Amino acid sequence: MDDHRFCENCGHDLWMRRGGAARAPSGPCPACGTTGSNGVVGANGFGVDEAGEDYCGTCGLRRSDGTEHVEADLGRVAGVSDRGLVHVRNEDAMAVGVLDPPDGPTLVAAVVCDGVSSVDSPELASRAGADAALVRLLHPGGPNMKEAVGEAATAVAALADAGYRNPPSCTLVAAVVDPGTGGDPTITVGWVGDSRVYWLAAPDAAEPARLLTVDHSWAVEMIAAGALDVETAMADRRAHAITRWLGAGGEPEPDVVTFRPAGPGLLLLCSDGLWNYLPGAADLAEAALPRLERGGPAAVARALTTIALDAGGRDNVTVVAVPVGPSDERRY
Amino acid sequence: MADGAASGAGAFTVDVDQNSYLPVDATRVDAIVTVTAADGAAGPAPASEVLEVIVVDCSTSMTGSKIRAARQATVAAIAELRDGVSFAVVAGNHVTRQVFPTHGTAVADAGSRAAATRLVERLQAEGGTGIGNWLTHVGGLAREHPGSIKHAILLTDGQNGESPEYFSNALNGALGAFTCDCRGVGTDWRVDELRTIATAMLGTVDIVADPADLAADFRSIMGEAMGKSVADLALRLWTPRGASVRFVKQVAPAVEDLTDRRTEAARQSGDYPLGSWGAESRDYHLAIEVPQGAVGDEMLAGRVSIVRPGSGDTPEQVLGQGLVKAIWTEDTALSTRISRGVAHYTGQAELAEAIQEGLAARKAGDEVTATARLGRAVALAAASGNEGTARLLGRVVEVVDAPSGTVRLRRVVADVDEMTLDTRSTRTVRVRGDG
Repeated sequence: MDDHRFCENCGHDLWMRRGGAARAPSGPCPACGTTGSNGVVGANGFGVDEAGEDYCGTCGLRRSDGTEHVEADLGRVAGVSDRGLVHVRNEDAMAVGVLDPPDGPTLVAAVVCDGVSSVDSPELASRAGADAALVRLLHPGGPNMKEAVGEAATAVAALADAGYRNPPSCTLVAAVVDPGTGGDPTITVGWVGDSRVYWLAAPDAAEPARLLTVDHSWAVEMIAAGALDVETAMADRRAHAITRWLGAGGEPEPDVVTFRPAGPGLLLLCSDGLWNYLPGAADLAEAALPRLERGGPAAVARALTTIALDAGGRDNVTVVAVPVGPSDERRY
Repeated sequence: MADGAASGAGAFTVDVDQNSYLPVDATRVDAIVTVTAADGAAGPAPASEVLEVIVVDCSTSMTGSKIRAARQATVAAIAELRDGVSFAVVAGNHVTRQVFPTHGTAVADAGSRAAATRLVERLQAEGGTGIGNWLTHVGGLAREHPGSIKHAILLTDGQNGESPEYFSNALNGALGAFTCDCRGVGTDWRVDELRTIATAMLGTVDIVADPADLAADFRSIMGEAMGKSVADLALRLWTPRGASVRFVKQVAPAVEDLTDRRTEAARQSGDYPLGSWGAESRDYHLAIEVPQGAVGDEMLAGRVSIVRPGSGDTPEQVLGQGLVKAIWTEDTALSTRISRGVAHYTGQAELAEAIQEGLAARKAGDEVTATARLGRAVALAAASGNEGTARLLGRVVEVVDAPSGTVRLRRVVADVDEMTLDTRSTRTVRVRGDG
């Protein structure tokens, strides 16, 4: 069905536009100027060792993999992922994309993954999970959230073969917007772990702002099960411990919700680097919607990232914004 | 967060315990590196690749119960030799004489073990003590067995009669040729002398106060030696440009400073000899001075590789690897976190020092220093749960209050107690709660 999808000359994908990945820069070490030919530790030119770590073979500085600050703006979806102010690496990853086949609806999808810090190379898990899920969500045969999360889980699990003591793992939250035939978009959201999706709209909108996901975290599950009250659960040392994740030892079973909003709004995907500072949907809407009006989803992603950094930036921050509904009908 | 890095494919695991977060102006990085032979990789080496030499002091001072015990111990050690292992028994006094075989080495089997035993039973005590000469002789035997695990047991009861220059040349000449476990029998030998040899030869030193215990001790040394699987390992430490290595110390099972044993290896790398290795685990404390970084920088401060040298057609092999990191942060909650392992072993190294300084001061008649240093040792031993050392300390000082290190020197201390404490001062315990 996708015979004409790829350019006959260069193999370029003509239907899908993607963003969100960062590539490791090549060339000399920015700190000491060493190039691959005059100072190497490992076989790849810059001392990548068996554990997948990447340091300059001369001065020892970790070489940037380009993920300190990543921005993606595809118009219909935009995101920012930032290392934050405390963490050495950005262990979050995002993947955003638009599939525009000639004879089908234009799908918009976004994925945010947050690496589990206590394992080896969590940034690899996030990257692999986000990419695998996005590709499946933007399949011309139609999005399938369960399959997308399943493929992400497989991709993350495959990293364990590289001989890690604590194999990489991550959370995942994904959303796909199908515009529908009659102008009624369908939104499907799937998640594993404590990254979140919010629906943002004005307080008086037909479809009011709210959190669409339920964290797979110790505290939330304790509260949901009626075992503990909110205060006791949140005060516990384990409150933020995630109970589902992709990767070794995790339960990659996603929760999936589908809904057709009664009005236009903004879909917001984020890692806990944002929602730890601004957990309420109404507050997020208040911060986001004026920016959407003025600068589109890219301005929203940038503004919310800045809010998290200004509040301390203790964790990696990833924010992806997807406007939903025809722009001329949107009332915020 | 766990800072340990996976070692990938290899017969050894290398675990790194450190707090990699440094405050803005800090440049010193400390780490405890645990090297463990992986399961299944540590079977004993083929017997044909093992050389064992037993050196028995036969000087006049050994006359009587000591030489009888030395004979029994040597016979017991011979009985432990695996079939196929190359071996020799050497009698040492002011000259060095091979007891069995007459020249070179023999291969262990029922016949050669019986022949060696018969000759050992006739050993007599006469003449002086020339330990340097003995080491030179064993070095010569060892060099005939390249690539093998080469181990010696050296038993003496007396002080070396050679000139310091002669001895030190002989010791230097034997470095790296074989590993040597040293035993002092009785109380007429000098702890520092044997410790110098054991340290240089990457072996252990201990006192066997009662000659009757020698046979059991030799049997256990041989059991260890026969279980070694890899010869001549080295710890290779890569450090970034502009960095300097402050020290590399083995800290478990005993403290051994390897800093001065470095030989330059690959670019920005040096090798520290580890001797031969069996199914065991050892801990090393590394301290590296690195160039200052900016806040948010992450630097590889050291890359520890366990290397087996190449020989003949076999290329050099990296058996395991671990990373030591430095991350500069303004977050004091991160940078002030103390690595339990680093703190523990810093304490164990100080414990050994305090004992040795305290005993030296006591010998010199400086009771104030002796009381202070041995008191500090009592406090450190108590705090770290080093019960073996605490018990030995208790025979030299009267402990008034262990946690504060309040002690009184004992008026009368048996030589054996003082020497035992001195000899075993470098023995460490691992961090509490660890398997």
